[in-house]
Amino acid sequence: MCSAVVPLSPPPATNALAAGRGVPARPLIGTLDSNRTQVVMETLLQRIVETGSAIAIIDITGVPTVDTMVAQHLMKTVAAARLMGTECMISGIRPQIAQTMVHLGVALGDVTTKATLAGAFATALHKMRLAITDVKA
Amino acid sequence: MDRIPILKMGDLLLVTIQVDMHDRLAMTLQDDLTDRIVTARARGVLIDISGLEMVDSFIGRMLANIASMSRVLDAETVVVGMRPAVAITLVELGLTLNGVRTALNVDKGMELLNSLGGHQG
Repeated sequence: MCSAVVPLSPPPATNALAAGRGVPARPLIGTLDSNRTQVVMETLLQRIVETGSAIAIIDITGVPTVDTMVAQHLMKTVAAARLMGTECMISGIRPQIAQTMVHLGVALGDVTTKATLAGAFATALHKMRLAITDVKA
Repeated sequence: MDRIPILKMGDLLLVTIQVDMHDRLAMTLQDDLTDRIVTARARGVLIDISGLEMVDSFIGRMLANIASMSRVLDAETVVVGMRPAVAITLVELGLTLNGVRTALNVDKGMELLNSLGGHQG
């Protein structure tokens, strides 16, 4: 489902792939800096417009470190997506990053977070009242 | 003087903003819309801002105000079609419009309004 390998910056990675009908997923791999998160924000919002998606997932499994600046950018992306009428989920937060965020005082508040991309995808399907079923059934 | 048209569709009001808002236009819209909600006994308001390319803090606050006012008047407001650049600007301005419902386009906005119980009237 999510096999894109995104080059480490530079150049900044800007691909947003469609993980399923109406759900763009945004895998982030490599160190996030402010420039890159800005690009992420813009491409994700652009893809939301193009695909008309109800739910977007930002997957940060491949991100080794998160600082306050980056966390704030992620929050801004989620808020901007909400303003456009799309719900945004963050998945793949590593244990260390979860600890760092709490220590830094970055509360993700009412943002839906999932441990894995699979979890986020399942939640997205559930919210869209879709299910993956056996073909034979 | 310029005015932004307010269309009535059943028990919903449809506002399409297709020009760049200036402060006086925003104030006029606020007045007109609150009047119309009462006279038309509207259950929901749909504001389409897909034509809006520039926002400032005043326009952002006005959108939030209109939503709060319509809630007081027992009508739900849905803002639809916000452009990415506008969304980023509002977030940078610290206006996350927490009380305002949003949808991607008019279709989805209508769906949302109908699911909120727009059939009571």
